[in-house]
Amino acid sequence: MNDCQNAEMRDQLPDLLHERLGATERSVVIAHLDGCVDCRDELALLRVAHGTLIKATPRVDLNFIVEALPKTAPRARPLSVSRRPMWTDWRIAAAAVVLVAGASSYSVLGRHSGVVTPDSLVAQAVAPTAGNPAAPTQRAESPATPTRSQQAETVLADGAPVATEMSGLGASRLGDLNEKQLKALLTEIDQLQATPITEPDPVTIRVDTKGSTTSPEGL
Amino acid sequence: MTDAPQGSGSGGERAGGGGDDQRDLELIAQWKAGDQRAASALVERHAAALARFAVASGERNEVDELVQDTFVRAFNSLDGFRGDSSFRTWLFTIERRLLLDRRRAEKRRRDRLEIQEDDAATEYDALDSVLADETQRRMREAVKQLSPTQREVFTLRVAEGLSYKEIADAVGTTEGAARVHYHNAMRAVKEFLDE
Repeated sequence: MNDCQNAEMRDQLPDLLHERLGATERSVVIAHLDGCVDCRDELALLRVAHGTLIKATPRVDLNFIVEALPKTAPRARPLSVSRRPMWTDWRIAAAAVVLVAGASSYSVLGRHSGVVTPDSLVAQAVAPTAGNPAAPTQRAESPATPTRSQQAETVLADGAPVATEMSGLGASRLGDLNEKQLKALLTEIDQLQATPITEPDPVTIRVDTKGSTTSPEGL
Repeated sequence: MTDAPQGSGSGGERAGGGGDDQRDLELIAQWKAGDQRAASALVERHAAALARFAVASGERNEVDELVQDTFVRAFNSLDGFRGDSSFRTWLFTIERRLLLDRRRAEKRRRDRLEIQEDDAATEYDALDSVLADETQRRMREAVKQLSPTQREVFTLRVAEGLSYKEIADAVGTTEGAARVHYHNAMRAVKEFLDE
């Protein structure tokens, strides 16, 4: 049995056998078959092979197969299952941001304790009694609530020596204050702006080594 | 429900390509919508072809179980069937994978038990005895002497009428390689029959 030299035609013989050719292709192959003994022989061989393979197939119990099939289509996973981790992730991220911001604020405020920490307020309350008695009056005359930098400026502009202020700050504890001082402290606290800031105005303290006066400067 | 048609033309369940593929997609959609009869129809359309492919691939025992496993696995993962290939080609792919798994497991078992099984006497050969037609008996012998890959490709091309592209998808090779395997198989069959 010889092979036809027209490989394209030979390739289409199984398709002709299974009627998978379009009308045009089919007519071309049929026309070729009319003049090609080798392809006719091969097509005949294909028919025998096809019949043989079909006959050789063992019987299959279809009921046996169908009984094992799932009764309904498997359900797709609900979307909420996959969305839940996203929601959790978002909350974790938000919590982390809040924690970082809070920690940063606390750290910054702690570094500038002379401005807003309770100890500084204690120092403010104590300073007039230790140094200049007129200072509280001067502060009380201020029409507006001072900003933090203004507070620092006011305290230091009271004329009390820094050394005194700092020693007062170090020595003062809430338990050491008398009733008047505590009231003054509470008044200061009431006047504070409660909104925390993450970036307080920087303050530098210039110390005059010859005299005892100091003056703060905001940069 | 009856047994798969045997010895009837193309298997009695498939004549062409595109129209049948469309019908498969419709049946799949019906089954997904809860129509159990659609599953039966799909089994009826493809079980015989899967059994043929199993035999051509050298499976001689428990063909029913293999075909059943193929359908069960296919129906359990129908969501993964995108219709890039025909449903039948997809089934062949699954069946072939199962066959390879079985062979590996069987090889491990044989290695463990050190049993040399003589698989000469099988249902496949028993069927030979009832084949009256000498030509068909010779043809069976000719197909038998092909290499496993040649036999798979030859069966899918001749018995199922798959294109080279579909064969390549089913057996995990290229279209060109499938064509070469087919022509080598055809040449070997001719030479065997000419002896």
